[in-house]
Amino acid sequence: MSTVLPPALSTASEKIRARLEQSPLAGKVEIRDLDIPTLEVFPENWIDLARFLRDDFQCRYDLYLDLAGVDNLRRPGRKTRFEAVVHLHSLENNDHIRVKVLMPDAESPTLPSAIEVWPAANWFEREAFDLFGFQFTGHPNLRRLLCHDAFVGHALRKDYSPGQRWFFTEEDLRWPDWAKDTNVRAGHFETQTLSIGPSHPATHGIVHLIARMDGERIARAETQIGYMHRCFEKMSETHTWNQVIPYTDRLNYVSAMINGVGYVRTVEKMLGIEIPKRGVLIRTILSEFSRIMDHCVNIGANLVDMGALTNFWYLFQNRENIYGLLEACCGARLTVSYVRIGGLAIDVPSDFVPRCRSLLESIPTFIDDVEKLVTNNRILRNRFEGTGVVTREQAIAWGLTGPMLRASGVAYDVRRSRPYDLYDQFDWDVAIAPDGDNFARYLVRIEEMRQSLKIIRQALDVFPQSGPVNSDDWHVVLPPKDAVYHDMESLIYHFKIVMEGIRVPKGERYEWIEGANGELGFYAVAEGGGGPYRLKPRPPCFPAMACFEKIIEGGSISDAVATLGSLNIIAGELER
Amino acid sequence: MSGVIDVSARVPKKLSLSQRLYLPEILGGMAVTMRHFLKNLIRIRNLPTILYPERKRNYSDRFRGKHILKTREDGTLKCVACYMCAQACPAECISIVAGEHPKISYEKYPVVFDIDMLRCVFCGFCVDACPKDAIWMTRDYEMAFFNREEAVFGIDRLREEPGSQVKDGYGYRPYYPGDGTVPPADASSEPVPPGDGERARMRIHGNLPAYRPSAPGVRPGGAP
Repeated sequence: MSTVLPPALSTASEKIRARLEQSPLAGKVEIRDLDIPTLEVFPENWIDLARFLRDDFQCRYDLYLDLAGVDNLRRPGRKTRFEAVVHLHSLENNDHIRVKVLMPDAESPTLPSAIEVWPAANWFEREAFDLFGFQFTGHPNLRRLLCHDAFVGHALRKDYSPGQRWFFTEEDLRWPDWAKDTNVRAGHFETQTLSIGPSHPATHGIVHLIARMDGERIARAETQIGYMHRCFEKMSETHTWNQVIPYTDRLNYVSAMINGVGYVRTVEKMLGIEIPKRGVLIRTILSEFSRIMDHCVNIGANLVDMGALTNFWYLFQNRENIYGLLEACCGARLTVSYVRIGGLAIDVPSDFVPRCRSLLESIPTFIDDVEKLVTNNRILRNRFEGTGVVTREQAIAWGLTGPMLRASGVAYDVRRSRPYDLYDQFDWDVAIAPDGDNFARYLVRIEEMRQSLKIIRQALDVFPQSGPVNSDDWHVVLPPKDAVYHDMESLIYHFKIVMEGIRVPKGERYEWIEGANGELGFYAVAEGGGGPYRLKPRPPCFPAMACFEKIIEGGSISDAVATLGSLNIIAGELER
Repeated sequence: MSGVIDVSARVPKKLSLSQRLYLPEILGGMAVTMRHFLKNLIRIRNLPTILYPERKRNYSDRFRGKHILKTREDGTLKCVACYMCAQACPAECISIVAGEHPKISYEKYPVVFDIDMLRCVFCGFCVDACPKDAIWMTRDYEMAFFNREEAVFGIDRLREEPGSQVKDGYGYRPYYPGDGTVPPADASSEPVPPGDGERARMRIHGNLPAYRPSAPGVRPGGAP
């Protein structure tokens, strides 16, 4: 007689298990090893576990990254119908874990809010309430976030039919209670409520900011989003894996290439396929160019808000040139749709390397000119320094990543902390600034553009002159066209991929890369079939927008405009 | 791999006197903008701004614009109505009705082949999906319509007229000159009636399938 032992845990999981054994939570948490250590817990123990994970000296999971709801209605063999899947990162130990809160009550799934432990959970929980109907007890403002207030039902539940339409009228628009009574301080006649947006030049997209003004100062503010919600997650459930790629272009449309790379990397990891070096380098080079483009747009638009218009033209000329390169590679400027699962749509044109080299020549001159014009400009320094301050502790608590976090003094960059592709072979620096104000964010972005150029230069040096860009697995990649036209077997492979989609093995995966404005993760659940069962992007600007109302409190309205510009909010990604 | 740099050390914490007096900085800034101005004035042909309707951007031969249905040498459509482009389309903008071709070697042809240009996202997946090299894209991006019906392009507006010049040239396609792949050979060059004949006949008889807008806006009970 021998008992079947559970499979041995990885070192990271074993460490958590050993610590959990010594805590009051022993026996209440199940640990498994999926792509990352995965903890399963029931709602009654969730807050205790959350505190343990954040505070235990061996764990220290201080960065709350994402909350993805999953409806297991068509996923047999799961313990409960609803799961809240939380992804956490430990800056100290540099690893990710996943916590699944299993909700046994299928009628009204309830779990306690983790907002006390991680303030970043605020909007993520509102989103899960909106799209799944999870009741977060103890959440101070549990209202719909992405869907409007006249919406009935919860859109991402599997029994919600996507064809339904709900009409929103002006009467349904709900303002926060505090905004209704403006005379909080009797006798102070200047207290009034100001509505900025939804369509306002300073909001860079469609964002509604409700602010209670005390003279010039913002006493209290709230942001309302959802004007550009396009059901990315629901639509990806009705499409095949490859058909999601054009949708990812429309997440962060300023650096569309990076989104596509992040998404296909997730699926490739689930399939377990490798891409030839040439394909990887093309992705890296174009992603870094996209990052430069994203920072150009962000800095340019931010400076326009400050009245410095000339820089906008200089930076946008870079963007224009990079768009020319992208268009020559894939045929579109903004919505590139260039990557495919298993490689790229098409090899780069023959003049790719010389074109990249000429861009490497021209981009720094424009960055230098912008620096000459504004970096030591007194007006800009007065507007930027000391405004929109996010301290290191706040940045971590609010779940910020990317340039926002690095400008608060935390050197967390996915390309460094978990080097994907070939980033560990390049020589580059992570740019940080300790101040956390708008000026620090401006400086970090300027430096990141230079570091991206450095990475591209090294990538071009090792770029193979010729060779395949796609994996040769014809279960995943479309066979070459001449084979399809003349060879029956290739035609069958081609037919199977197009008509049925790629067969991704059952399972789940969270893959994360460094997007232009922070950690861009994709949590994908496959349940057989040609398309995703559930796909949740981790939008980097979502936590930044969530904390915006906190950053601007107490500042003046003109500083709020400067701060909003420096957060790099991309509405397409924010609201998906 | 390398280290971490603190960028705040790169800029002076306190501005110098000349920087705090606006005038020298203004002159320095004017020098930068004047340099750009003069450079653009001298090389006015290379201005990054394009005066659009008069001058047009020169796009690459991979540009994803309006689709075109390729024809065989005898003028019939290469399309065999296999529905693979319609299936691959993420925007579900292609609708096809298949018919039996009188010529036995062609077997099938599209009686109706509609692309709703308002739904289309110009991703090029239809070109990738086509097993017969029948659909390409062109560099034509100037599509404006007065109403939604006009935006649905049928075979009459999509087919390539043999011998005539394609507007703005070919764009995204499965193979490019000199990239090593072999273009497909035609089955036959024997002339047959053009593909639009069936559609015209259906229109005369009044049984041409009407265009169906997908996802009808079902208003659920209780909605305002």
